[in-house]
This record gives sequence, C-alpha cells and structure tokens, in this order.
Amino acid sequence: MTTGTLTRFKLDAATKAADLHHRAVIQRNITTYDVAVARGKARFSDWSNARSRAAAIKWEAINHLDRYLEQFECNVLANGGCVCWAETAADARDYILGLAKRHGVQKIVKSKSMTTEEIHLNQTLEGEGIRVIETDLGEYICQLRGEPPYHIVTPVMHLTKADIARTFQEKLGTPLTESAEELTMIARARLRHEFMAADMGITGANFAVADTGMVAITENEGNARLSFSLPRVHVAVVGIEKLIPRLEDLALLWPLLSTSGTGQAVTVYNSLVGGPRQSPETLGPEEFHVVLLDNGRTRLLADVEQRDALHCIRCGACLNICPVYRNIGGHAYGTTYQGPIGSVITPHLRDERDWSHLPYASSLCGACTDVCPVRIDLHHHLLHNRRNAVQHKFDSTGQSLLFRAWLWTMQSPPRYAVAGKAARLALRLGIAQKFLRPWTANRELPKAPAQSFKDYWRRHERGS
Amino acid sequence: MNAARENILTRVRTALRSESRHPPPATDASVFPPVLNSEVRFKEEFVALTGEVVQNLGQFLKGFTRIATDGNPLVQELVGAGNAGIRDADLGVTGCDCLVAQTGSVIVSTHSAGDRALSVLPPTHLIIAHRSQIVPDLDAAIMWLRERYRGHWPSALSLITGPSRTADIEKILVMGAHGPKRIAVYFVD
Repeated sequence: MTTGTLTRFKLDAATKAADLHHRAVIQRNITTYDVAVARGKARFSDWSNARSRAAAIKWEAINHLDRYLEQFECNVLANGGCVCWAETAADARDYILGLAKRHGVQKIVKSKSMTTEEIHLNQTLEGEGIRVIETDLGEYICQLRGEPPYHIVTPVMHLTKADIARTFQEKLGTPLTESAEELTMIARARLRHEFMAADMGITGANFAVADTGMVAITENEGNARLSFSLPRVHVAVVGIEKLIPRLEDLALLWPLLSTSGTGQAVTVYNSLVGGPRQSPETLGPEEFHVVLLDNGRTRLLADVEQRDALHCIRCGACLNICPVYRNIGGHAYGTTYQGPIGSVITPHLRDERDWSHLPYASSLCGACTDVCPVRIDLHHHLLHNRRNAVQHKFDSTGQSLLFRAWLWTMQSPPRYAVAGKAARLALRLGIAQKFLRPWTANRELPKAPAQSFKDYWRRHERGS
Repeated sequence: MNAARENILTRVRTALRSESRHPPPATDASVFPPVLNSEVRFKEEFVALTGEVVQNLGQFLKGFTRIATDGNPLVQELVGAGNAGIRDADLGVTGCDCLVAQTGSVIVSTHSAGDRALSVLPPTHLIIAHRSQIVPDLDAAIMWLRERYRGHWPSALSLITGPSRTADIEKILVMGAHGPKRIAVYFVD
C-alpha cells in the first residue's frame, strides 16, 4: 500500500468529518436534493421497472460495445464529424491540443465535463498559453478558486453564498453580496463575453447515440448550448462507456438521469449534436470532433464481475445517499469521481496500488445500490475491490497479520476461550483502549463483562 | 490514430468474450402514467416551469425593442423578419419541431428554429407553434422526429424544458443562468 494517497485520505477525511460547518452546509444541500428527488420519483408510475429497463439498455450497450462504437463512428463520419480514438489521457490531450494549434485557437469555452477533469485537459492547454474558461457556474467558481469539483453533479456543494461572494470579490473585484441571483448574474455577464470571443468549445457527453451518431448533452444553464453554438470548433470528449444503442433509449434515460441527479422531470436543456453546421446555418462550428476515450475503461470491461460499473450515468445519487460522503465530503477522496461509484471504478481506471484504500471508506450499508438508477451492484463491488486489494497484497502488513491471527483463533474452541479471557482482562486493565488506538480514538469500548457468554449459559442451565 | 482504434476495439472484443451477468428482467409496461389530454397537460407543465402561454401576440411583442427571428414561415408571417441580430436581440422568436405534453418541453432544431444560438442567446425566447405539434410524451416525440427527418438529421437539436436555470449556489434556484430568463409559447389556432 503506497502511503501518499492513503495518508492524505486519512488526514483529509478525519479533518472534514470533525468540521461541523462543513457538515451543516452538506446536510442542508442534500436535504433539498432529497425533497426534490422524492417529488421527481412520484412522476413515475413504476420507478423500479424504469431502473430495470435502464439497466437493460446499458447492459446491451456495454456487452456489445464494439458493435455500437463502430456504428457510432460510422454515423458521426457520415454527418461530417471527425472521430479520435484515444487510448490514454495523454492521447486525448495531444489530439485536442493539436487541433487547437491547427486552428490558431486562443480562447476555449468549456462546459461541465468530468471526463475532461479525468484527463486534466485544462492544465495541458493552459500550459501552451491557451485560455480555458469553465462556463458552468459551479465549475467557473471552482476554476476561480483553483479547486477541483467537490461533487460530479454539484461542483461547489461545499460552499455558501458568502464563500462564493468572497471568491468573486477577490478574483473579479465585484462587491460582496448575499444574493445567489446577483452572484449568478455576475457570472452570466462575464461569461457572455467569453462565449462571444471563444474559438473553440469543449463539452462532454452524457450519452453517445450509436444509431444516429449524435452526442447527447444534458444541462440546466445553457452554457453547453452556447459552447457548441458560437465557437468555430466543437470538441466533445466522450468515455467509450457512454454509448447507448438507440435514440429511443433517451425517452427513458433523460428523465431517469435528471430525476436521480436533481429531481427534475427532465433537465432544462437536453441537446443532441450530430455534426458541424450545415447549410443554411450561419452560426455554429465548422468542425465537430468526438474524442472516444478508453483510459482504463477496457480494463474494467474485461472484469466480468464488475463490468456493470460501466453502466453508470453519473447522476450523483450514490454520493448524496452515502453516509461516508456526507461526512468526509467530496475533496477527501482525492479522485475525479467521488463517493461509492468513485471507490468502485478508480482502482480500475488508475493505479490500484494507490487507490485500494477507497473501497474501505464504506459502511457497506447498501444505500448506494438501492438508489442507483441503473442498478449497479455498488456495495458488492466495494467488497470485490477489498478482496482484490487483499489478493494483490495491497493491504497493510498489520491488517493482514491481524486477520490471520483472528482466523487462527476462531478455528479452535480452546484458542477462542483463551483469547476471550485475555480480551476481558485487557478491557478491565484498560490496555485494550491503547491496543486498538485508531479505532478507539472516536469510540468507547464496551465495559468488560464479568464472564463469557459460554460461562453464563453453563451456569444458567445448571440453575434451571 | 488508426492503431489506437484497432487497439481499443481489440481490447473491447477480447473483454467481451465472456458475457456479464444479466440485469434483473424488466417488463415492457410503461413507467410513466399515461398523458390523457396533451394540450391541457402541456400547458400545466409549461406554466409550472414559469413558461408563459401568450394570448395576445401583438401585446407581448410590444414589450421588446430588438427582435431576432428565424426563417420559419409561421414566424415570418406573424412576426416578420425582426430588427436585430442574434447577439443584440432582447427577444428571439422561433418555430419548433414538436412540443412534449409529459414534460412541458419544446424541441427545437437547426431546421425548425434557425441558428443554434437563436433560442439560447437572447434573454427571452418565444416559440410559435400549432396546437397540432403537441405530442403526448417523449416516446412520441422521438417517433415524430424519426418520421420528420428520416435519417437526414439537423446538425443540432435541443429538448427545452423551461427557462435556463441554475441551483449551483446552495441549491437556490436562479433563472437565466446563461440562456433565456423567460420562455413563452404562442399557439396559432
């Protein structure tokens, strides 16, 4: 087990878990979300069947991914678009940078895309002197603060109006305000100028529709629409797991995604982009590029046991319900994808050695599995990842010794009896607290019982 | 890039040699309650999203000084060519493909509603449509689009459901994040 990511995780998680202000902000946010989602689910006559159908759609797409990828590519090309197949994050970055250079791009507007966060696209482009502006309000605030998104759907869930007003005052020189509307209008006015002047628009995609060769982009603000309407070049960065077979699938997936994501019946703008502008359009990009990104996804695809983790539509429901996420917050994970889904996929997408501690950040309560709109077996995958970490010997020596000792003890009644006596003595003398230090730091140990249950039973039986 | 394509597809095919566990079976039964009266339902949903159903078009248009329109014949007939470009207009007037009763949504495309930015850049968006363009639900809307375009798709389409909004700051709802703050529809009888 490498210490860098683990040590940081332990420290950040412990700090955040004890931060009462943080907890209050998150609870308020998630309570609002819970109310909206309950209302949204009431619009379905059969939520359970909706989830099963969505799972079937994604199962079909993922288990025939080669066919759908080829069909998608073929249709994009027929619509006049270009397709780049990127094996790694570096391949995707190089392609987009090359494109930007070829077009003499100086300014890029970006709409929210976790996939571009995953490949650290902004740093590369900015390193080459290109200005990159995040245009989703939450992402814009993150960018001003130099922070990664806190949540895959709600990037600044951890901030209050006052925090954001201070950030705007510091970075933009605007007066302090306590009004969310005024803050939004400040961003709107600033970003309008950026949209008008940008040469390239970069978006992600929520779905890639194989049978029409279109990318489907879901958003509330309109910044994605402006990003693929005004600049000369539009690039959509798409993980290969985003494929769906048919346009008809969206009649279910659009409402399902927005219900689980925000509680809305459907998100304000659900757009389909099929290529560059066509005559007689006078606005719109001259070129349309889709970057199909692997970056470890085929590794997860090869794991039959956990392949359904690729069904994820990134709604964020498993983050919001997770008792661990609610306490340690999104930044503690140190990953692009946080919460249960992040702890499932990150050890596959990145170096397992560095991230094998994440699946332990779970109480295995199964709430994530219950809310997942595409029925991913999340909490079992967390267990599978723990098993993988042990099999690959990424768990700590102390832990593996402890478990071996426990196994040895449990396999023999006399050994168990001796261990029980020793444990009661240790509890009585107060040594146990010290011995179990990390665990007892925030918990009280039970009082030492006078006798074992076995002794009690023997006496009880004799007495009756 | 061709090598990358082959490498990815080969990895996918190798991975898929074994099939993963099937998800629990789903039924074909609809997952949404049926839409009984499309026109009534559309208006209910649209108004709930703060959309305005315009009764008097002339009156509504008087509230704007700079109007941009698309090439839609219905719009040209009722509103004219407009007097502003997309970038300076305070009102964008467009046609649409169809309207979806289930969600109170409007589908616009580069065929039905002019350039991509016309329905998102001006602060108010007015849609002019026939009542007959209302379809019951999203399934019907996609079927409508399939039949309308028969494989020759517009370069971009958007399902629009209410005015632009954000709740990124403390989950407080604010209208007009980047797109229109107001959305309105006028039905031609």
